[in-house]
Amino acid sequence: MIDFMLAAVVSAFLNIGLLLVVIATYVQNMQVIRSYYTSGLVLVAALLMIQNIVIVLFWSTLYMDDKALMMSADMVSHYLFAINIIQTIGLSVLVWITRR
Amino acid sequence: MQSYLLNDPKEEQKEFFITDTNSEQSVFAVTLPVFSFPDVIPRGLFSFSGTGAESSPNPRFKMILWAIIAGTRGGVNRAKILNLVKETPMNANKIATVLNLDHKTVIHHVKILAKNELIVKAEKDYGAEYQLTQIMKENQSALEEIMLKIGTK
Repeated sequence: MIDFMLAAVVSAFLNIGLLLVVIATYVQNMQVIRSYYTSGLVLVAALLMIQNIVIVLFWSTLYMDDKALMMSADMVSHYLFAINIIQTIGLSVLVWITRR
Repeated sequence: MQSYLLNDPKEEQKEFFITDTNSEQSVFAVTLPVFSFPDVIPRGLFSFSGTGAESSPNPRFKMILWAIIAGTRGGVNRAKILNLVKETPMNANKIATVLNLDHKTVIHHVKILAKNELIVKAEKDYGAEYQLTQIMKENQSALEEIMLKIGTK
């Protein structure tokens, strides 16, 4: 059986990596074109990254704090995995479009 | 939004309809809410060539142009290529020489630009020249706006 919690964490780290690539490209463009559009792109990507970092932090706290919380976290980990993997797919498409 | 409604040719038709007939139907037409889907959506949002005027680029096209230029790697070079072929159609080799870019890079960029229907390749095979498409020509002011932001960097 798949450990959904582990898969969710891997997926969250993948998201952070993909977002780093996107942000790097956006920042490079922002250095040349200073406009609301380029800064907006950087802001959105940065916020998405914060979201992913927060997910990892919150869920690891939830997981490690005590036994009862760990069990409940395990019971719903497949939901978290689904959310993260969908985001990974979405970000992969974004990276592909951005780096093409 | 209000100005859209006031300038709407359909609105004029409605008024004409109301003053023209004195039947009950006209009263009915007045009391009913007159919003329809196209009324509440800004002009040009779902069409590329709707706005027409050279000075105001189509907002939707403008977003696409911004996305291709500001949202992708090498977008700045794409803007420069568009700006270059705007005046005189050029082939990839000449673009590479003028912009001091790698030939392969230029080939890649023009391919992407052509795929997004911003430039079009001439019929002949060897040394084919690229020029702006009709949509791009109509919305040149959007490109100029972006080129202004890029400046001389």
